[in-house]
Amino acid sequence: MFSLPGASSFEVYAIWSVLLIAFFGLGYALLLRKQVMACDKGTPKMQEVWGAISEGANAYLKRQLRTIVPLIFIFTIVLFFSVYIVPPTESSKLRFVGYSEESLKLMIGFGRAVAFVLGAVFSLMVGQFGMRMAVQANVRVASASRRSFGEALKIAYRAGTITGMLTDGLGLLGGTLIFIIFGVASPDTLLGFGFGGTLLALFMRVGGGIYTKAADVGADLVGKVEAGLPEDDERNAAVIADLVGDNVGDCAGMAADIFESYEVTIVSTLILGVVLYKTTHELSWIVFPLLVRGIGVLSSIIGTYLVRGGKEEKGQNALKAINKGFYTSAAISIALFGVVSYFYLHDWRSFLSVVMGIILAIVLDEITKYFTDGNYKPVQEIARDSKTGSATLLLKGLSYGFEVAVWQTVVIALTILSALIIYAGQPVIYVLYGVAMTGIGMLTLTGNNVAMDAFGPIADNANGVGELSHLDKDARKIMDSLDATGNTTKAITKGVAIGSAVIAAVALFGSFITDVSNVQIQLGFEKSQQLTETGIRISAPMVFIGLLLGGTIPWLFSSLTINAVTRAAAMIVEEVRRQFRIPGIIERTVKPDYQRAVDICTVAAQKELIPLALIAVLSPILVGSLLGVEALGGFLGGVILSGQLLAVFMAGSGGAWDNAKKTIEDGLYGGKGSEAHHAAVVGDTVGDPLKDTAGPALNPMIKVINLVSLLAAPVLIAYQKPGQISVGLVITGVICFVIISLAVMTSKRGGLRRAKKLE
Amino acid sequence: MSKYLYLSVTPEALIASMLPPAEFGEYMATGTKKSNKGQMIFFEVDQDLVKDVVDTDYIEKNCVRHADGAPKHSVYLSVYRVLETIPIKALKNLYLTTDNGIVLELTPTPYDKSCEEKDSLHLYQELCPVTPQVASEFCPAAFVKALTDGSRQIKLPKLFFVELKLGELAANPATGSAEHLPYTHVRHLRDCLLSLSGYEKRMKTVVRSYNGTLLYRSVASGFYVGSGDELVYYRYPTMSELEEINYDFLATI
Repeated sequence: MFSLPGASSFEVYAIWSVLLIAFFGLGYALLLRKQVMACDKGTPKMQEVWGAISEGANAYLKRQLRTIVPLIFIFTIVLFFSVYIVPPTESSKLRFVGYSEESLKLMIGFGRAVAFVLGAVFSLMVGQFGMRMAVQANVRVASASRRSFGEALKIAYRAGTITGMLTDGLGLLGGTLIFIIFGVASPDTLLGFGFGGTLLALFMRVGGGIYTKAADVGADLVGKVEAGLPEDDERNAAVIADLVGDNVGDCAGMAADIFESYEVTIVSTLILGVVLYKTTHELSWIVFPLLVRGIGVLSSIIGTYLVRGGKEEKGQNALKAINKGFYTSAAISIALFGVVSYFYLHDWRSFLSVVMGIILAIVLDEITKYFTDGNYKPVQEIARDSKTGSATLLLKGLSYGFEVAVWQTVVIALTILSALIIYAGQPVIYVLYGVAMTGIGMLTLTGNNVAMDAFGPIADNANGVGELSHLDKDARKIMDSLDATGNTTKAITKGVAIGSAVIAAVALFGSFITDVSNVQIQLGFEKSQQLTETGIRISAPMVFIGLLLGGTIPWLFSSLTINAVTRAAAMIVEEVRRQFRIPGIIERTVKPDYQRAVDICTVAAQKELIPLALIAVLSPILVGSLLGVEALGGFLGGVILSGQLLAVFMAGSGGAWDNAKKTIEDGLYGGKGSEAHHAAVVGDTVGDPLKDTAGPALNPMIKVINLVSLLAAPVLIAYQKPGQISVGLVITGVICFVIISLAVMTSKRGGLRRAKKLE
Repeated sequence: MSKYLYLSVTPEALIASMLPPAEFGEYMATGTKKSNKGQMIFFEVDQDLVKDVVDTDYIEKNCVRHADGAPKHSVYLSVYRVLETIPIKALKNLYLTTDNGIVLELTPTPYDKSCEEKDSLHLYQELCPVTPQVASEFCPAAFVKALTDGSRQIKLPKLFFVELKLGELAANPATGSAEHLPYTHVRHLRDCLLSLSGYEKRMKTVVRSYNGTLLYRSVASGFYVGSGDELVYYRYPTMSELEEINYDFLATI
């Protein structure tokens, strides 16, 4: 099955070992699942609360599946037939020597369609299994908190690690399997794999983001602000939706998001690696990234297993234990990368790129921490400005949000520059490969990162279960402390998710340039006309137009997602108010209808998926077919830059406002109920949909656009003859324009209907 | 079922109820419909010591279970000059209620005289029967005496008040840091504190009107009720003590 000319026996064993490691990672996830599931679920009351969360989560997952499956089906067919528009690449002919043109098309088309389904299903599995596991874990963490801090921490973190290892295992399995089967022809199919994962991540992120914030804002506005109920009060009809939302957004959405970054970096690295392999005939360009990923999985297993807390320890120690696991994994990874580089590569350049990736992840963590953590100056200043009202607090938060976007972008730019220095004097393809390897390095510790992220909603939900089932003071103190640690870990991993999305997008951008050039070579373009030679010139008016249009897409996306949250939150507010008026709910003699709030959030979240997915998928086709492939390059540049700045800005401002509020709630400037707190609540409410809905949705959106561009590029080049207008492409462009306009109108129409109803 | 007598200080009222203090506080703060909320501070009154000033027959007759067996939540007995009429020795524990109904119980503790030896300024929020916020050189005992012993033109029969945090301003009103003080009128507060030095003035009104909500995190030494030389002190716990005593209350403020 595995056939690559020139592969040494070490390389063959290495590839199979990587596949084994992928299964090992999945086995480790299964082992942890068994451990977590063996823990007790507490009292009948705790199980009753957990049952409601579980029911809500299942309802969301089922509904989401119903919305997504038809789209997966359509895209699978489109991807299968895409190979009939342009002939298979030369690499495919090289891999499947002796097959007829028709058989080759059938194989590649089939492979691409299956890879798409595989990517989509894996992404779905990571999100859905991860979320189900988080729901299973929350009640067990709550129960363990009655016994000891260490046990509660261990269960929460190990349950999060299950999602982390699923991300690692499935990501590695998919990429390696495709490479084993398709060899040098794998770029043809890897695109399908990446696209499947990314599209699903977009759905999970957008749906999860809208759900979680609609429920959160709605529950808080009526429950906490109007009725004076505490957080997670059982009389609030939206309380279960709020708890489900934490899982939907921070667990399913984030896991799928990081999974697709993990996938996309390996996809782009393998695409570039195959190009370099064909040039140098050295298989290490392909084998080394796979080995790096395998080492990452092993070191994550060791690091995550080390995370545990003592019986009497407190929250600060939880973070220390988690960090210890993270840095242990990082140290093991770097050491093993060094060993492999020394004995196998005999070249330190790829090693340096990977290490730069790990450094980038750590630096982005630190920058995010500095701008969003309550222990540092920016959040303290924002909190201080709350004393003069919400306007100054908002302005200060905006100011720091802008600044964090600058520094993160500068760091990413420097990292890309480092690839340029590492591969100085080499053609641009080496530099792009270096950037892709940085992405591989950055996501080496995906197992730890996802575990840290999923730990947040698990601890948060455990606290909710504890509150609703009236656990004693000591148990709730433990859960409060775990919840606070979870908030910190969630914020940190957001920085990595955004950074990795940009690096992955830049690597994909590199793949776009090489892919376009490959097709140009196949179509007989002269060397001087090929994109690797001409580059993407922003001085060309069409490219500049593409750049401008690309820059607008993240803003349009953010506008629609925030609008959707506002709309859904208003519906939740009305529903909670309506239920408060039902006799007996306030007196606790009648149970609220939690399911209704869950349904409202679920429907509202799914309603937005199709229009937003259509915008992401069709906008590059629109630009490419009307303005040309070079303008499409400009468009991608615009999307990456604007998306990166906007996503970091929103995460930074939102996170800083959130923590400024928490700082005040911890007692600064009078605590809850003070003027400062009122101002901080405004900041947090504004920041919530920015940091948890619009910002995170941009990560997969950037990559969907890049992958669609990669898939569409060969078609565009084939039908776009220099100096001629292709009627087919113009018609395609017009159709895309009409569909995008309808998608925007559909997304906004909900808002108009809502306004009329309220009048 | 037991009947309780409560003296609410914000707003001032004497109320009989069949609810024990924690439930009474929750009820008064949030009602039965949860359609509104508001902070509440009240004392439990020793009924045996107020028989001559309270209409006990009225309580017996009206503070009875509802037809459905539910306890009577509140029977208002008086809403005017209540503190004045209730003897200080009849005041039992003090209860602080958050606006979502969590109640903290404070018991009387011996007055801490060590503050009289320190040369520092104080900020008091008067809570009943009048409600200005006052900066003063006086320690709590001297402050209550000054306002209730009849030596001044403006005098009160009794006074219930709380000492608020001043941070560095207590010792150094001119240049001390006011960074972590929760007040929106820090500049004015500083001026008021400065006006206390070098003049005859020992007290200065900082804010004339009280908005009815006390920031529990801004409470310094605690609550005081007194008249002349009589003073009862309710020490306010530190945040770490509060974490042990009443975690729900700490989590809400």
